[in-house]
Amino acid sequence: MSTGTQLVDHSALKVNQTGIVATVLIAFIGSAVYRPLLVLIPLLAIVLLLGTFAPQLALFKQLYFKVLKPRGIVKPRPVQDRPEPHNFAQGLGGVFLAVSSVLLLAAPVLGLALALLVAVLAFVNLAFGYCLGCQIFFQLERRGVLKPSTRSS
Amino acid sequence: MSAQLWALAVAGAVVLAAAGLESFRSRRARSLAAGAAAAPAAEPYILYFTGESCTVCRTHQEPALSKLGDVRIEKVDAVAERTLADRFHVYTLPTTVVMAADGKALHVNYGYAPAPKLGRQLAEARGIELRPVATA
Repeated sequence: MSTGTQLVDHSALKVNQTGIVATVLIAFIGSAVYRPLLVLIPLLAIVLLLGTFAPQLALFKQLYFKVLKPRGIVKPRPVQDRPEPHNFAQGLGGVFLAVSSVLLLAAPVLGLALALLVAVLAFVNLAFGYCLGCQIFFQLERRGVLKPSTRSS
Repeated sequence: MSAQLWALAVAGAVVLAAAGLESFRSRRARSLAAGAAAAPAAEPYILYFTGESCTVCRTHQEPALSKLGDVRIEKVDAVAERTLADRFHVYTLPTTVVMAADGKALHVNYGYAPAPKLGRQLAEARGIELRPVATA
């Protein structure tokens, strides 16, 4: 059952989730006094979507691998895991933030609420290890929408 | 500021509604799965539904299961063995099912189940097995 797994550094995932929560909170609270801070939401959407398809462009993960880990600020936590559900969850967060960015122009309350929900889900993953995107990935895989990884008998 | 407050209210309402739906879904699945049958065994055992996409299974559930001591854990890949997973209405991972020796499901836990909870459920399963039969 472990043919599709590899070592995934969960500290990189935690730094990514912390980055999402912090950026959305800065945009959410900061925009009350300085509205242009809302631009952080579409920027975060771009960062998450780019990072999903090109891991070398994942800003927060690169911050971890290039700065935090080498300097010993955050210790690595390698876990035998599959990276795909986490990437899927990140991509889903990016899509929701992209929708939120569009809504910010037409219906700011809904746009802000959607961005806040993405931050809440990232926080739940960070604090309790519950990944909604991973559960959706499991359901899609179970229904055959996504192809399960190669298994040995 | 009012846009932020309204957004907070909308997000809060969505979170509450999701929590309510999840609670309803879990209770419904539990009642549907109660009494579902699998292979009988000499002792109560645990059916542990997991999958490669489940991180909590590896980081939380498996360490909890290893604390239970002498109990048989039947590990099931919920994606590969869909029929068995459907019988127990597995909609989330991990799912643990405490099975009585006669192969009937006694307790179904959707999501992470800590070791003390599983321990209590196993003790109950063993108690049911050890209950003396009333005689005239």
